[in-house]
Amino acid sequence: MATTQPIHHRELAPQEMLGRSRIWTLVMGLAVIGLVLGIVSYARELTGGMVVTGMRDVGIGGGATWGLYVAFLIYMMGVSFAGITIAAMIRLLKLEQLRPVGRIAEILSVVAVVLGGLAIIVDLGQPLRGLVNLFRYARPQSPFFGTFTLVLAGYGFASLVYLYLGSRRDAAVLAERPGRLQWLHRFVASGYSDTPEERERHDRASFWLAVGIVPLLVVASSTLGFVFGLQIGRPGWFSALQAPAFVTLAGVSGVGLVIVLAALVRHAEHRSDVLTPAVFAWLGKLMLGLLFVYVYFMAVELVTATYAGSEADADITAALLTGTYAPIFWTSVAFLVVPLGLLVYAALAKRWSIGMLTAVSVLVNLGALGKRYLIVVPSQTHGTLLPYGEGSYTPALVEYGVVLGLVALGVLMIGAFMKALPVIELQREEEVGQDA
Amino acid sequence: MTRYAMVIDLDRCQGCRACVEACKVENNTPQGSLWMHVFRLEEGTYPSTTMSFLPRPCQHCDNAPCVKVCPVGARYKREDGLVLTDFDRCIGCRYCELACPYGVNVFNWSDPAEHQYLDWDDPDLPDEVRGSVPPWHNPDHDVVHGDEQRRTSGGGHAKGVVEKCTFCVQRLERGELPACATTCPVNAIIFGDTDDPGDSVNAEIARGDAFDLLPEAGTKPRVHYVGGKHPTRSAREIERVEVEV
Repeated sequence: MATTQPIHHRELAPQEMLGRSRIWTLVMGLAVIGLVLGIVSYARELTGGMVVTGMRDVGIGGGATWGLYVAFLIYMMGVSFAGITIAAMIRLLKLEQLRPVGRIAEILSVVAVVLGGLAIIVDLGQPLRGLVNLFRYARPQSPFFGTFTLVLAGYGFASLVYLYLGSRRDAAVLAERPGRLQWLHRFVASGYSDTPEERERHDRASFWLAVGIVPLLVVASSTLGFVFGLQIGRPGWFSALQAPAFVTLAGVSGVGLVIVLAALVRHAEHRSDVLTPAVFAWLGKLMLGLLFVYVYFMAVELVTATYAGSEADADITAALLTGTYAPIFWTSVAFLVVPLGLLVYAALAKRWSIGMLTAVSVLVNLGALGKRYLIVVPSQTHGTLLPYGEGSYTPALVEYGVVLGLVALGVLMIGAFMKALPVIELQREEEVGQDA
Repeated sequence: MTRYAMVIDLDRCQGCRACVEACKVENNTPQGSLWMHVFRLEEGTYPSTTMSFLPRPCQHCDNAPCVKVCPVGARYKREDGLVLTDFDRCIGCRYCELACPYGVNVFNWSDPAEHQYLDWDDPDLPDEVRGSVPPWHNPDHDVVHGDEQRRTSGGGHAKGVVEKCTFCVQRLERGELPACATTCPVNAIIFGDTDDPGDSVNAEIARGDAFDLLPEAGTKPRVHYVGGKHPTRSAREIERVEVEV
């Protein structure tokens, strides 16, 4: 594959690769505006109390006490799961052709962990206490514990290590050349000079980290499903399917985001040489498998709830199928089932168009967001076991503002990384030639 | 060892909600925060309808789901049966609120000091009341309680933490009954110690018609009901209680 690499990409530093891209500047500008909006919204929430959000107490308060923030949090945790899975699979199974998207997956994972962590903080009534007490008084009995330790810390650490180890080698190459960011590249390389010995050690470390991550993947993401699935007091949540369904949908949405980001990079940096249709086809097949399993889970869950559900379960199912939540529910289902159909067609026809895959990825991510929202909210407004009556929840402007700010922060992080370091790994074989 | 329990006689309850009021006065809860709630329920279709009342304090479960899920141990179970919240430790994640099948937890969405039923700065108020926020403040809440020496009786009422019924821990320590039990005009709320064989609460619990709320949740509540029946799924509140926070 290295031989097909046009030489000019090797000569360019990442910030030159993007060129003076107007679109990049525009997107970053918009992201800054979004971030400012988010900060303003959160400042309002901090000073005025969480009464400025649309959330209210379950029961007498007639609302949902977890809302958009938690839906966004579990969505982001899902994305980080998929990112780290792809990164680990590339190392473990030696999927050489997928290497070009490896770093994209790692960045996505790091960004998702950061955004997910921040989403927890903005959802807390006492955020400063949270930062101290969650460590000081941590209780493994709480299903939340796994979210903090395994998902936030575990995924965060693993993906940062991968991102750093990979970037370090590229930084070592780039640090040889004069440029505005040479200091940064020298700093990131920090003594690493990519000798065969060092590379050997690097590969060994990456491999064993992948071996360590694989069991973590299933356990950690399941704990996030357990946050909901273990609560007997919430019909609609209490289900053994919660954990595996969570993991699968996480994979679907995360792979989707990797595809979208890879398509953007391919376009912005003109990298059709390494981000070949074959890479996209591979990701598409992975998504097809995961999406198939998820749609199956969804069907099983629906059959169980409608056929044999308790009265409380039946109320929630009715609200989903024909009631308050029907528009979101059926839109989400369509956004998952239609892409499944398209992917099946692509698999049968063996035609994996990048445009189609990108569109499908955007759709499944919207569908996944909708499904996350529908896991969190209806159980609270329609799932009270005592006769409280129906509640309702509409996210307030402040909540949209904060989530917008978080997304903008993610865009800024990815954009800044693209300027500073190569978002696609530099080719190894050529480096060998250069060093020798 | 003392093990507190409460029995609520639904046959006696007349739905006057004096217990709700007593709770608010004793515990200085802010607007929209009801630690005690009395359902006024209706079942069936006209003309064959039945009406019933169901007071609902915290059930102080022996197998409390809220205690299990709390990520920082702010919600804990005491040996005397009480389930309490350490208001200084709670981080406001509201997980307990979702784990509880009974919906007894209340979050302080806004600053409780500023969120009272009356505007105490109103110039029309008499001089001795105006300007003092809160106008009447129960000093019992300023101190720590129990062997664990934690501030659990609802003192401070801080913004962004979860609160709930404490069985009036500050009153129990003085040997008094919870405010709701004392105030109930028809003695529908019987409170006592299950480890004391002579306590009348034991006879009530032993009654043939005694039941617990939502036994299927496996929570083993310390609040029991007699003289009525468990509300069915078709029960609805006669008038919807809508709190403003």
